[in-house]
Amino acid sequence: MSLPLERIPTPKSERFKYTNLPRTLKGLDLKPASLGWGNKIAVLEPKAPGAEQYRDTELWAINAENVSDIRFISGDDEIDVNAKDGQFICPRIVIDVKDNQTVTVVERQGGAGAYWKNTVVQVTIGKNATLRHYRICDEAEKGVSTIFTHVKIGRDSTYEAFCLTTGAGTIRNQTHGELTGENAHCWLSGVNLLSSAQLADTTITIEHQAPHCTSKQTFKSVLKDQAHGVFQGKVHVHQVAQKADGYQLSNALILSPEAQMDTKPELEIYADDVKCSHGATTGRLDEEPLFYMRARGIPESVARALLIQSFCGQAVESISDESMHEVVTGKIEQWLQSRI
Amino acid sequence: MIKIKQLKAEIDGREILKGLDLEIQPGKVHAIMGPNGAGKSTLSYVLAGREEYEVTGGDIEMNGESILEMAPEERAGKGLFLAFQYPVEIPGVQMTTFMKTAVNSVRKARGLSELDAIDFLKLMKSKCKELGISDEMMKRAVNVGFSGGEKKRNEVLQMAMLEPKFCVLDETDSGLDIDALKIVADGVNKMRGGDRSFLVITHYQRLLDYIKPDAVHVLAGGKIVKTGGPELAHELEEKGYADIVGAAA
Ligand SMILES: Nc1ncnc2c1ncn2[C@@H]1O[C@H](COP(=O)(O)OP(=O)(O)OP(=O)(O)O)[C@@H](O)[C@H]1O
Ligand SMILES: [Mg+2]
Repeated sequence: MSLPLERIPTPKSERFKYTNLPRTLKGLDLKPASLGWGNKIAVLEPKAPGAEQYRDTELWAINAENVSDIRFISGDDEIDVNAKDGQFICPRIVIDVKDNQTVTVVERQGGAGAYWKNTVVQVTIGKNATLRHYRICDEAEKGVSTIFTHVKIGRDSTYEAFCLTTGAGTIRNQTHGELTGENAHCWLSGVNLLSSAQLADTTITIEHQAPHCTSKQTFKSVLKDQAHGVFQGKVHVHQVAQKADGYQLSNALILSPEAQMDTKPELEIYADDVKCSHGATTGRLDEEPLFYMRARGIPESVARALLIQSFCGQAVESISDESMHEVVTGKIEQWLQSRI
Repeated sequence: MIKIKQLKAEIDGREILKGLDLEIQPGKVHAIMGPNGAGKSTLSYVLAGREEYEVTGGDIEMNGESILEMAPEERAGKGLFLAFQYPVEIPGVQMTTFMKTAVNSVRKARGLSELDAIDFLKLMKSKCKELGISDEMMKRAVNVGFSGGEKKRNEVLQMAMLEPKFCVLDETDSGLDIDALKIVADGVNKMRGGDRSFLVITHYQRLLDYIKPDAVHVLAGGKIVKTGGPELAHELEEKGYADIVGAAA
Protein backbone atom coordinates (compact mmCIF):
# COMPACT_ATOMS: atom_id res chain seq x y z
CA MET A 1 0.00 0.00 0.00
CA SER A 2 1.28 3.39 -0.83
CA LEU A 3 0.69 6.60 1.09
CA PRO A 4 -2.74 8.23 0.87
CA LEU A 5 -1.09 11.06 -0.98
CA GLU A 6 -4.24 12.39 -2.62
CA ARG A 7 -5.84 12.80 0.85
CA ILE A 8 -3.07 14.89 2.33
CA PRO A 9 -3.94 18.58 2.44
CA THR A 10 -2.03 20.86 0.08
CA PRO A 11 -1.08 24.51 0.53
CA LYS A 12 -4.34 25.34 -1.24
CA SER A 13 -6.15 24.65 1.99
CA GLU A 14 -5.79 27.65 4.26
CA ARG A 15 -4.47 25.91 7.33
CA PHE A 16 -1.68 24.35 5.26
CA LYS A 17 -0.76 27.48 3.41
CA TYR A 18 2.90 27.49 4.41
CA THR A 19 3.59 23.76 4.68
CA ASN A 20 3.59 21.60 1.60
CA LEU A 21 3.20 18.08 2.93
CA PRO A 22 2.42 16.28 -0.36
CA ARG A 23 5.57 17.65 -1.97
CA THR A 24 7.70 16.58 1.00
CA LEU A 25 6.18 13.12 1.21
CA LYS A 26 6.06 12.36 -2.49
CA GLY A 27 9.73 11.55 -2.80
CA LEU A 28 9.79 9.15 0.15
CA ASP A 29 9.59 5.38 -0.22
CA LEU A 30 7.54 4.38 2.83
CA LYS A 31 5.61 1.32 3.96
CA PRO A 32 2.95 1.01 6.68
CA ALA A 33 4.54 -0.16 9.90
CA SER A 34 3.89 -0.12 13.62
CA LEU A 35 5.59 0.68 16.90
CA GLY A 36 4.37 -2.60 18.35
CA TRP A 37 1.96 -1.09 20.87
CA GLY A 38 -1.00 -2.98 19.42
CA ASN A 39 -4.11 -1.46 17.84
CA LYS A 40 -6.88 -3.86 18.72
CA ILE A 41 -9.15 -1.51 20.59
CA ALA A 42 -11.98 -0.29 18.39
CA VAL A 43 -13.40 2.66 20.27
CA LEU A 44 -11.76 5.45 18.33
CA GLU A 45 -13.73 8.41 17.16
CA PRO A 46 -13.22 8.27 13.41
CA LYS A 47 -14.10 11.88 12.94
CA ALA A 48 -12.14 14.66 14.55
CA PRO A 49 -14.07 17.04 16.77
CA GLY A 50 -14.41 20.26 14.83
CA ALA A 51 -14.19 18.54 11.43
CA GLU A 52 -17.19 20.35 10.01
CA GLN A 53 -16.48 23.70 11.50
CA TYR A 54 -12.78 24.10 10.79
CA ARG A 55 -12.16 21.77 7.88
CA ASP A 56 -8.56 21.24 8.89
CA THR A 57 -8.73 17.75 10.32
CA GLU A 58 -7.69 15.59 7.38
CA LEU A 59 -4.63 14.30 9.21
CA TRP A 60 -6.87 12.99 11.98
CA ALA A 61 -8.95 11.12 9.43
CA ILE A 62 -5.86 9.58 7.86
CA ASN A 63 -4.73 8.50 11.32
CA ALA A 64 -8.12 6.94 12.09
CA GLU A 65 -8.11 4.91 8.87
CA ASN A 66 -4.53 3.74 9.19
CA VAL A 67 -4.09 3.60 12.94
CA SER A 68 -1.04 1.44 13.66
CA ASP A 69 -0.65 1.73 17.42
CA ILE A 70 -2.86 2.74 20.31
CA ARG A 71 -1.83 3.71 23.78
CA PHE A 72 -4.07 4.68 26.71
CA ILE A 73 -2.74 6.91 29.44
CA SER A 74 -4.49 7.97 32.62
CA GLY A 75 -1.66 8.68 35.06
CA ASP A 76 1.90 10.04 35.02
CA ASP A 77 3.68 8.53 32.06
CA GLU A 78 6.49 8.80 29.55
CA ILE A 79 6.07 7.76 25.99
CA ASP A 80 8.46 7.41 23.07
CA VAL A 81 7.28 7.68 19.49
CA ASN A 82 10.28 6.64 17.42
CA ALA A 83 10.04 5.84 13.74
CA LYS A 84 12.55 3.81 11.75
CA ASP A 85 13.73 4.38 8.22
CA GLY A 86 11.06 3.68 5.61
CA GLN A 87 8.09 3.61 8.00
CA PHE A 88 4.66 5.13 7.69
CA ILE A 89 3.00 4.93 11.09
CA CYS A 90 -0.18 6.32 12.61
CA PRO A 91 0.03 6.15 16.40
CA ARG A 92 -2.93 7.20 18.53
CA ILE A 93 -2.35 8.31 22.10
CA VAL A 94 -5.42 8.66 24.28
CA ILE A 95 -4.97 10.57 27.53
CA ASP A 96 -7.80 10.59 29.99
CA VAL A 97 -7.39 12.69 33.12
CA LYS A 98 -10.11 12.07 35.67
CA ASP A 99 -11.68 14.68 37.97
CA ASN A 100 -9.37 16.09 40.67
CA GLN A 101 -6.23 14.45 39.21
CA THR A 102 -2.90 16.04 38.37
CA VAL A 103 -1.05 14.17 35.67
CA THR A 104 2.28 14.75 33.91
CA VAL A 105 2.96 13.15 30.55
CA VAL A 106 6.29 13.39 28.74
CA GLU A 107 6.13 12.56 25.04
CA ARG A 108 9.36 12.13 23.08
CA GLN A 109 9.11 12.24 19.32
CA GLY A 110 12.03 11.07 17.20
CA GLY A 111 13.22 8.78 14.48
CA ALA A 112 15.93 7.77 12.04
CA GLY A 113 16.10 7.97 8.27
CA ALA A 114 13.05 8.84 6.20
CA TYR A 115 9.55 8.29 7.65
CA TRP A 116 6.12 9.70 8.16
CA LYS A 117 4.64 9.62 11.65
CA ASN A 118 1.08 10.84 11.66
CA THR A 119 0.26 10.94 15.36
CA VAL A 120 -3.04 11.82 16.99
CA VAL A 121 -3.11 12.69 20.66
CA GLN A 122 -6.60 12.74 22.07
CA VAL A 123 -6.92 14.34 25.50
CA THR A 124 -9.85 14.61 27.86
CA ILE A 125 -9.45 16.46 31.15
CA GLY A 126 -12.28 16.16 33.68
CA LYS A 127 -13.20 18.69 36.35
CA ASN A 128 -10.73 20.38 38.67
CA ALA A 129 -7.84 18.48 37.10
CA THR A 130 -4.50 19.32 35.52
CA LEU A 131 -2.55 17.77 32.69
CA ARG A 132 1.02 18.82 32.10
CA HIS A 133 1.93 17.62 28.67
CA TYR A 134 5.56 18.02 27.63
CA ARG A 135 6.68 17.11 24.15
CA ILE A 136 10.28 16.89 23.02
CA CYS A 137 10.80 16.62 19.27
CA ASP A 138 14.15 15.55 17.92
CA GLU A 139 13.35 14.30 14.46
CA ALA A 140 15.59 13.13 11.64
CA GLU A 141 16.36 15.37 8.70
CA LYS A 142 14.26 13.28 6.31
CA GLY A 143 11.54 12.57 8.84
CA VAL A 144 8.06 13.96 8.51
CA SER A 145 6.15 14.21 11.76
CA THR A 146 2.59 15.44 11.84
CA ILE A 147 0.92 15.56 15.22
CA PHE A 148 -2.72 16.43 15.77
CA THR A 149 -3.47 17.07 19.42
CA HIS A 150 -7.04 17.51 20.47
CA VAL A 151 -7.83 18.55 24.04
CA LYS A 152 -11.13 18.90 25.86
CA ILE A 153 -10.75 20.80 29.09
CA GLY A 154 -13.46 20.61 31.75
CA ARG A 155 -14.53 23.00 34.46
CA ASP A 156 -11.76 24.43 36.72
CA SER A 157 -9.14 22.39 34.87
CA THR A 158 -5.84 23.26 33.22
CA TYR A 159 -4.02 21.92 30.21
CA GLU A 160 -0.37 23.04 30.31
CA ALA A 161 1.60 22.04 27.25
CA PHE A 162 5.13 22.76 26.20
CA CYS A 163 6.83 21.60 23.04
CA LEU A 164 10.56 21.78 22.33
CA THR A 165 11.95 21.11 18.88
CA THR A 166 15.69 20.69 18.54
CA GLY A 167 15.73 18.57 15.41
CA ALA A 168 13.38 18.35 12.48
CA GLY A 169 12.84 17.41 8.96
CA THR A 170 9.28 18.58 8.51
CA ILE A 171 7.14 19.00 11.59
CA ARG A 172 3.49 19.90 11.70
CA ASN A 173 2.26 20.42 15.22
CA GLN A 174 -1.45 21.07 15.22
CA THR A 175 -3.42 21.61 18.40
CA HIS A 176 -7.13 22.04 18.86
CA GLY A 177 -8.11 23.00 22.39
CA GLU A 178 -11.71 23.16 23.56
CA LEU A 179 -12.40 24.96 26.81
CA THR A 180 -15.70 23.27 27.60
CA GLY A 181 -16.26 24.10 31.29
CA GLU A 182 -16.18 27.36 33.19
CA ASN A 183 -12.86 28.57 34.52
CA ALA A 184 -10.85 26.21 32.35
CA HIS A 185 -7.35 27.04 31.10
CA CYS A 186 -5.42 26.11 28.00
CA TRP A 187 -1.81 27.20 28.19
CA LEU A 188 0.37 26.28 25.24
CA SER A 189 3.98 27.25 24.77
CA GLY A 190 6.97 26.09 22.86
CA VAL A 191 10.43 26.68 21.52
CA ASN A 192 11.45 25.70 18.00
CA LEU A 193 15.17 25.65 17.32
CA LEU A 194 15.69 25.08 13.63
CA SER A 195 18.69 24.97 11.33
CA SER A 196 19.57 23.84 7.79
CA ALA A 197 16.35 23.27 5.78
CA GLN A 198 14.18 22.25 8.71
CA LEU A 199 10.54 23.24 8.95
CA ALA A 200 8.32 23.43 12.01
CA ASP A 201 4.70 24.43 11.67
CA THR A 202 2.74 25.25 14.81
CA THR A 203 -0.96 25.55 14.08
CA ILE A 204 -3.41 26.16 16.89
CA THR A 205 -7.13 26.56 17.34
CA ILE A 206 -8.48 27.36 20.77
CA GLU A 207 -12.19 27.48 21.37
CA HIS A 208 -13.57 29.33 24.36
CA GLN A 209 -16.93 27.62 24.85
CA ALA A 210 -17.64 28.61 28.45
CA PRO A 211 -17.29 31.76 30.56
CA HIS A 212 -14.20 32.74 32.57
CA CYS A 213 -11.69 30.66 30.63
CA THR A 214 -8.13 31.65 29.81
CA SER A 215 -5.89 30.63 26.96
CA LYS A 216 -2.25 31.44 26.38
CA GLN A 217 0.02 30.77 23.44
CA THR A 218 3.68 31.65 23.91
CA PHE A 219 5.96 30.49 21.11
CA LYS A 220 9.57 31.27 20.27
CA SER A 221 11.34 30.28 17.10
CA VAL A 222 15.06 30.50 16.41
CA LEU A 223 15.84 30.10 12.74
CA LYS A 224 19.26 29.46 11.23
CA ASP A 225 20.40 28.76 7.69
CA GLN A 226 17.37 28.09 5.41
CA ALA A 227 15.10 27.06 8.27
CA HIS A 228 11.41 27.81 8.01
CA GLY A 229 9.07 28.50 10.92
CA VAL A 230 5.30 28.72 10.73
CA PHE A 231 2.93 29.92 13.43
CA GLN A 232 -0.81 30.03 12.89
CA GLY A 233 -2.79 30.69 16.02
CA LYS A 234 -6.53 31.05 16.16
CA VAL A 235 -8.58 32.02 19.17
CA HIS A 236 -12.29 31.45 18.73
CA VAL A 237 -14.44 32.93 21.48
CA HIS A 238 -18.04 31.66 21.33
CA GLN A 239 -20.91 33.89 22.34
CA VAL A 240 -21.41 32.22 25.72
CA ALA A 241 -17.74 32.56 26.64
CA GLN A 242 -17.92 35.87 28.49
CA LYS A 243 -14.87 37.11 30.41
CA ALA A 244 -12.59 35.13 28.13
CA ASP A 245 -8.90 35.98 28.39
CA GLY A 246 -6.93 35.00 25.31
CA TYR A 247 -3.27 35.75 24.91
CA GLN A 248 -1.14 34.94 21.92
CA LEU A 249 2.53 35.65 21.31
CA SER A 250 4.87 34.47 18.59
CA ASN A 251 8.43 35.75 18.45
CA ALA A 252 10.95 34.65 15.87
CA LEU A 253 14.65 35.26 15.78
CA ILE A 254 16.15 35.14 12.32
CA LEU A 255 19.84 34.30 12.33
CA SER A 256 20.44 34.16 8.61
CA PRO A 257 19.09 36.01 5.58
CA GLU A 258 17.70 32.79 4.05
CA ALA A 259 15.70 31.81 7.12
CA GLN A 260 11.98 32.45 6.99
CA MET A 261 9.11 32.88 9.40
CA ASP A 262 5.43 32.92 8.49
CA THR A 263 3.06 34.09 11.17
CA LYS A 264 -0.71 34.32 11.08
CA PRO A 265 -2.59 35.21 14.23
CA GLU A 266 -6.38 35.08 14.08
CA LEU A 267 -9.07 36.21 16.48
CA GLU A 268 -12.70 35.24 16.05
CA ILE A 269 -14.76 36.79 18.81
CA TYR A 270 -18.51 36.48 19.29
CA ALA A 271 -18.75 37.41 22.98
CA ASP A 272 -18.71 41.07 24.00
CA ASP A 273 -16.89 40.99 27.34
CA VAL A 274 -13.49 39.53 26.50
CA LYS A 275 -9.83 40.38 26.85
CA CYS A 276 -7.76 39.16 23.93
CA SER A 277 -4.33 40.20 22.80
CA HIS A 278 -1.88 38.99 20.26
CA GLY A 279 1.62 39.97 19.31
CA ALA A 280 4.01 38.70 16.72
CA THR A 281 7.56 39.78 15.99
CA THR A 282 10.24 38.59 13.62
CA GLY A 283 13.65 40.11 14.06
CA ARG A 284 17.37 39.67 14.29
CA LEU A 285 19.65 39.69 17.32
CA ASP A 286 20.24 43.20 18.67
CA GLU A 287 23.73 44.48 17.95
CA GLU A 288 23.96 46.69 21.05
CA PRO A 289 23.77 44.00 23.75
CA LEU A 290 26.04 41.86 21.61
CA PHE A 291 28.72 44.55 21.52
CA TYR A 292 28.27 45.32 25.22
CA MET A 293 28.93 41.69 26.12
CA ARG A 294 31.88 41.38 23.77
CA ALA A 295 33.36 44.55 25.23
CA ARG A 296 33.31 42.69 28.55
CA GLY A 297 35.42 39.90 27.07
CA ILE A 298 32.60 37.46 26.30
CA PRO A 299 33.32 35.70 22.97
CA GLU A 300 30.80 36.44 20.24
CA SER A 301 29.39 32.91 20.05
CA VAL A 302 28.89 32.80 23.82
CA ALA A 303 27.25 36.23 23.78
CA ARG A 304 24.90 35.13 21.00
CA ALA A 305 24.02 31.96 22.87
CA LEU A 306 23.22 33.93 26.03
CA LEU A 307 20.97 36.30 24.10
CA ILE A 308 19.16 33.46 22.32
CA GLN A 309 18.68 31.65 25.59
CA SER A 310 17.12 34.72 27.13
CA PHE A 311 14.95 35.11 24.03
CA CYS A 312 13.53 31.64 24.68
CA GLY A 313 13.20 32.33 28.40
CA GLN A 314 9.63 33.57 28.40
CA ALA A 315 8.34 30.33 26.87
CA VAL A 316 10.56 28.08 29.00
CA GLU A 317 9.43 29.86 32.18
CA SER A 318 5.91 28.57 31.59
CA ILE A 319 7.00 25.00 32.36
CA SER A 320 5.78 24.46 35.90
CA ASP A 321 7.47 21.08 36.40
CA GLU A 322 10.93 21.79 37.80
CA SER A 323 12.75 18.78 36.44
CA MET A 324 11.27 19.28 32.96
CA HIS A 325 12.28 22.92 33.14
CA GLU A 326 15.84 21.75 33.74
CA VAL A 327 15.74 19.17 30.95
CA VAL A 328 14.50 21.75 28.45
CA THR A 329 17.04 24.38 29.53
CA GLY A 330 19.80 21.79 29.14
CA LYS A 331 18.65 20.76 25.68
CA ILE A 332 18.48 24.38 24.54
CA GLU A 333 22.03 24.95 25.83
CA GLN A 334 23.19 21.86 23.98
CA TRP A 335 21.65 23.02 20.74
CA LEU A 336 23.24 26.44 21.12
CA GLN A 337 26.66 24.96 21.84
CA SER A 338 26.63 22.87 18.70
CA ARG A 339 24.87 25.29 16.33
CA ILE A 340 25.78 28.86 17.33
CA MET B 1 50.47 51.76 27.53
CA ILE B 2 48.25 53.27 24.87
CA LYS B 3 49.37 55.11 21.78
CA ILE B 4 46.89 56.61 19.36
CA LYS B 5 48.44 57.90 16.15
CA GLN B 6 46.68 60.08 13.59
CA LEU B 7 43.46 58.16 14.15
CA LYS B 8 40.71 58.72 11.62
CA ALA B 9 37.32 57.08 11.92
CA GLU B 10 33.92 57.40 10.32
CA ILE B 11 30.41 56.15 10.79
CA ASP B 12 27.84 55.85 8.03
CA GLY B 13 30.23 57.66 5.72
CA ARG B 14 30.66 60.62 8.05
CA GLU B 15 34.17 61.33 9.35
CA ILE B 16 34.12 61.94 13.11
CA LEU B 17 37.73 61.47 14.20
CA LYS B 18 40.07 63.47 12.00
CA GLY B 19 43.63 62.61 12.89
CA LEU B 20 43.69 62.20 16.64
CA ASP B 21 46.95 61.78 18.59
CA LEU B 22 47.12 60.68 22.19
CA GLU B 23 49.63 58.79 24.30
CA ILE B 24 49.13 57.56 27.84
CA GLN B 25 52.00 56.12 29.86
CA PRO B 26 51.50 53.17 32.24
CA GLY B 27 49.99 54.25 35.56
CA LYS B 28 48.78 57.63 34.31
CA VAL B 29 45.33 59.18 34.31
CA HIS B 30 44.38 61.38 31.40
CA ALA B 31 41.15 63.31 31.11
CA ILE B 32 39.35 64.29 27.93
CA MET B 33 36.89 67.15 27.90
CA GLY B 34 35.14 68.66 24.92
CA PRO B 35 31.86 69.99 23.56
CA ASN B 36 28.88 67.75 22.76
CA GLY B 37 29.32 65.93 19.51
CA ALA B 38 33.11 66.41 19.47
CA GLY B 39 33.75 62.70 19.05
CA LYS B 40 34.57 61.61 22.60
CA SER B 41 32.24 58.63 22.65
CA THR B 42 33.28 57.80 19.11
CA LEU B 43 36.86 57.56 20.34
CA SER B 44 35.79 55.29 23.20
CA TYR B 45 33.84 52.99 20.86
CA VAL B 46 36.70 52.83 18.37
CA LEU B 47 39.06 51.91 21.20
CA ALA B 48 36.70 49.12 22.31
CA GLY B 49 36.33 47.81 18.74
CA ARG B 50 32.76 48.59 17.80
CA GLU B 51 32.30 47.37 14.23
CA GLU B 52 29.95 50.11 13.01
CA TYR B 53 32.86 52.53 13.17
CA GLU B 54 35.30 52.28 10.34
CA VAL B 55 38.88 53.23 11.02
CA THR B 56 40.12 54.92 7.86
CA GLY B 57 43.56 55.99 9.01
CA GLY B 58 46.15 55.87 11.78
CA ASP B 59 46.69 53.24 14.45
CA ILE B 60 45.99 52.33 18.06
CA GLU B 61 48.68 50.48 19.95
CA MET B 62 48.32 48.89 23.34
CA ASN B 63 51.61 47.84 24.92
CA GLY B 64 53.33 48.15 21.58
CA GLU B 65 50.83 46.00 19.69
CA SER B 66 48.25 47.30 17.22
CA ILE B 67 44.72 46.42 18.36
CA LEU B 68 42.84 47.59 15.26
CA GLU B 69 42.40 44.08 13.87
CA MET B 70 41.31 42.61 17.19
CA ALA B 71 37.71 41.71 18.05
CA PRO B 72 36.18 43.56 21.03
CA GLU B 73 36.44 40.46 23.25
CA GLU B 74 40.09 40.05 22.35
CA ARG B 75 40.82 43.63 23.37
CA ALA B 76 38.99 43.07 26.65
CA GLY B 77 41.08 39.97 27.22
CA LYS B 78 44.22 42.06 26.67
CA GLY B 79 43.04 44.41 29.39
CA LEU B 80 41.02 47.14 27.73
CA PHE B 81 37.85 48.23 29.47
CA LEU B 82 35.18 50.73 28.43
CA ALA B 83 32.66 52.09 30.91
CA PHE B 84 29.82 53.03 28.55
CA GLN B 85 28.25 56.49 28.51
CA TYR B 86 24.93 54.69 27.96
CA PRO B 87 25.12 51.22 29.51
CA VAL B 88 23.05 48.70 27.55
CA GLU B 89 20.04 46.86 28.96
CA ILE B 90 19.96 43.11 28.33
CA PRO B 91 16.54 41.71 29.25
CA GLY B 92 16.57 38.08 30.30
CA VAL B 93 20.28 37.85 31.10
CA GLN B 94 20.89 37.92 34.82
CA MET B 95 23.67 40.20 36.13
CA THR B 96 25.36 37.31 37.96
CA THR B 97 25.40 35.09 34.87
CA PHE B 98 26.66 37.95 32.73
CA MET B 99 29.39 38.87 35.21
CA LYS B 100 30.54 35.30 35.78
CA THR B 101 30.73 34.66 32.04
CA ALA B 102 32.70 37.87 31.53
CA VAL B 103 35.13 37.27 34.40
CA ASN B 104 35.86 33.71 33.33
CA SER B 105 36.18 34.70 29.67
CA VAL B 106 38.89 37.27 30.40
CA ARG B 107 40.57 34.91 32.87
CA LYS B 108 40.70 32.29 30.15
CA ALA B 109 42.09 34.81 27.66
CA ARG B 110 44.79 35.71 30.20
CA GLY B 111 45.76 32.10 30.83
CA LEU B 112 44.23 31.99 34.32
CA SER B 113 42.01 29.24 35.68
CA GLU B 114 38.27 29.88 35.77
CA LEU B 115 36.70 30.86 39.08
CA ASP B 116 34.26 28.37 40.55
CA ALA B 117 30.81 29.50 41.69
CA ILE B 118 31.86 30.04 45.30
CA ASP B 119 35.01 32.04 44.62
CA PHE B 120 33.17 34.10 42.06
CA LEU B 121 30.32 34.99 44.41
CA LYS B 122 32.79 35.92 47.13
CA LEU B 123 34.60 38.27 44.76
CA MET B 124 31.38 39.80 43.49
CA LYS B 125 29.98 40.34 46.97
CA SER B 126 33.07 42.14 48.17
CA LYS B 127 33.20 44.41 45.10
CA CYS B 128 29.46 45.14 45.37
CA LYS B 129 29.93 46.15 48.98
CA GLU B 130 32.74 48.55 48.12
CA LEU B 131 30.55 50.24 45.53
CA GLY B 132 27.36 50.27 47.57
CA ILE B 133 25.55 47.90 45.21
CA SER B 134 22.95 45.58 46.73
CA ASP B 135 23.11 41.81 46.18
CA GLU B 136 19.51 42.00 45.00
CA MET B 137 20.59 44.04 41.97
CA MET B 138 22.84 41.19 40.85
CA LYS B 139 19.79 38.95 40.55
CA ARG B 140 18.16 41.30 38.09
CA ALA B 141 18.66 41.40 34.34
CA VAL B 142 21.67 43.42 33.16
CA ASN B 143 20.89 47.14 33.58
CA VAL B 144 17.14 46.52 33.21
CA GLY B 145 15.22 48.82 35.51
CA PHE B 146 18.45 50.22 36.98
CA SER B 147 18.36 53.98 37.69
CA GLY B 148 20.79 56.17 35.77
CA GLY B 149 23.15 56.28 38.76
CA GLU B 150 22.87 52.54 39.36
CA LYS B 151 23.86 51.85 35.77
CA LYS B 152 26.99 53.97 36.15
CA ARG B 153 27.91 52.28 39.40
CA ASN B 154 27.37 48.95 37.69
CA GLU B 155 29.92 49.96 35.03
CA VAL B 156 32.50 50.61 37.73
CA LEU B 157 31.64 47.29 39.37
CA GLN B 158 32.35 45.51 36.09
CA MET B 159 35.60 47.40 35.77
CA ALA B 160 36.66 46.34 39.25
CA MET B 161 35.72 42.71 38.55
CA LEU B 162 37.55 42.45 35.23
CA GLU B 163 40.86 43.92 36.43
CA PRO B 164 41.72 45.74 33.21
CA LYS B 165 45.01 47.45 32.44
CA PHE B 166 43.60 50.36 30.47
CA CYS B 167 40.25 51.83 31.47
CA VAL B 168 38.18 54.24 29.42
CA LEU B 169 35.42 55.94 31.42
CA ASP B 170 32.91 57.71 29.20
CA GLU B 171 30.99 60.23 31.32
CA THR B 172 30.76 57.83 34.22
CA ASP B 173 30.04 60.85 36.45
CA SER B 174 26.92 61.96 34.56
CA GLY B 175 23.75 61.19 36.44
CA LEU B 176 25.46 60.42 39.74
CA ASP B 177 24.38 62.13 42.95
CA ILE B 178 27.09 63.66 45.17
CA ASP B 179 27.48 60.59 47.39
CA ALA B 180 27.52 58.19 44.44
CA LEU B 181 30.15 60.34 42.73
CA LYS B 182 32.39 59.95 45.77
CA ILE B 183 31.82 56.20 45.91
CA VAL B 184 32.58 55.82 42.21
CA ALA B 185 35.67 58.06 42.43
CA ASP B 186 36.90 56.05 45.44
CA GLY B 187 36.34 52.89 43.42
CA VAL B 188 38.48 54.27 40.60
CA ASN B 189 41.17 55.61 42.93
CA LYS B 190 41.43 52.21 44.61
CA MET B 191 42.30 50.76 41.22
CA ARG B 192 45.00 53.34 40.54
CA GLY B 193 48.60 52.66 41.21
CA GLY B 194 50.87 50.23 39.48
CA ASP B 195 50.67 50.09 35.70
CA ARG B 196 46.96 50.62 35.22
CA SER B 197 46.13 53.63 33.03
CA PHE B 198 42.88 55.58 32.72
CA LEU B 199 41.23 57.75 30.12
CA VAL B 200 38.46 59.70 31.82
CA ILE B 201 35.93 61.46 29.59
CA THR B 202 33.91 64.06 31.45
CA HIS B 203 32.10 67.37 31.13
CA TYR B 204 32.68 68.36 34.75
CA GLN B 205 35.79 69.44 36.50
CA ARG B 206 34.25 68.23 39.79
CA LEU B 207 35.04 64.58 38.97
CA LEU B 208 38.65 65.57 38.42
CA ASP B 209 38.77 67.00 41.95
CA TYR B 210 38.23 63.43 43.14
CA ILE B 211 40.21 61.64 40.46
CA LYS B 212 43.30 63.80 39.98
CA PRO B 213 44.43 63.53 36.37
CA ASP B 214 48.02 63.71 35.17
CA ALA B 215 46.94 65.47 31.98
CA VAL B 216 43.82 67.09 30.56
CA HIS B 217 43.03 67.18 26.83
CA VAL B 218 40.42 69.08 24.90
CA LEU B 219 38.81 67.16 22.05
CA ALA B 220 37.00 69.24 19.47
CA GLY B 221 36.14 68.59 15.85
CA GLY B 222 37.63 65.10 15.97
CA LYS B 223 41.09 66.11 17.19
CA ILE B 224 42.93 66.92 20.39
CA VAL B 225 43.16 70.71 20.22
CA LYS B 226 44.75 71.46 23.58
CA THR B 227 46.60 69.61 26.31
CA GLY B 228 47.50 70.80 29.80
CA GLY B 229 47.62 69.89 33.48
CA PRO B 230 44.70 69.67 35.94
CA GLU B 231 44.46 73.46 35.90
CA LEU B 232 43.13 73.28 32.32
CA ALA B 233 39.91 71.71 33.63
CA HIS B 234 39.36 74.68 35.92
CA GLU B 235 40.04 77.06 33.10
CA LEU B 236 37.44 75.33 30.91
CA GLU B 237 34.91 75.31 33.71
CA GLU B 238 35.24 79.10 33.89
CA LYS B 239 35.56 80.11 30.29
CA GLY B 240 33.96 77.28 28.28
CA TYR B 241 35.34 75.98 24.99
CA ALA B 242 34.78 79.04 22.80
CA ASP B 243 38.33 80.43 23.04
CA ILE B 244 40.14 77.13 22.53
CA VAL B 245 37.93 75.72 19.82
CA GLY B 246 37.84 79.08 18.08
CA ALA B 247 41.65 79.42 18.20
CA ALA B 248 42.16 75.90 16.87
CA ALA B 249 39.71 76.25 14.02
N1 LIG C 1 25.42 56.66 13.03
C1 LIG C 1 25.86 57.93 12.90
N2 LIG C 1 25.77 58.56 11.70
C2 LIG C 1 26.20 59.82 11.55
N3 LIG C 1 26.71 60.56 12.54
C3 LIG C 1 26.83 59.99 13.75
C4 LIG C 1 26.41 58.65 14.01
N4 LIG C 1 26.63 58.36 15.30
C5 LIG C 1 27.18 59.47 15.84
N5 LIG C 1 27.29 60.46 14.94
C6 LIG C 1 27.80 61.81 15.14
O1 LIG C 1 29.12 61.76 15.56
C7 LIG C 1 29.42 62.93 16.30
C8 LIG C 1 30.24 62.56 17.51
O2 LIG C 1 29.42 61.86 18.42
P1 LIG C 1 29.98 61.39 19.84
O3 LIG C 1 28.92 60.57 20.46
O4 LIG C 1 31.30 60.78 19.67
O5 LIG C 1 30.12 62.78 20.61
P2 LIG C 1 30.56 63.06 22.12
O6 LIG C 1 31.77 63.90 22.06
O7 LIG C 1 30.65 61.82 22.87
O8 LIG C 1 29.33 63.94 22.63
P3 LIG C 1 28.64 64.02 24.09
O9 LIG C 1 29.44 64.96 24.89
O10 LIG C 1 27.29 64.60 23.80
O11 LIG C 1 28.55 62.65 24.63
C9 LIG C 1 28.09 63.60 16.61
O12 LIG C 1 27.95 64.73 15.78
C10 LIG C 1 27.08 62.56 16.24
O13 LIG C 1 25.87 63.12 15.78
MG1 LIG D 1 29.61 61.00 24.43
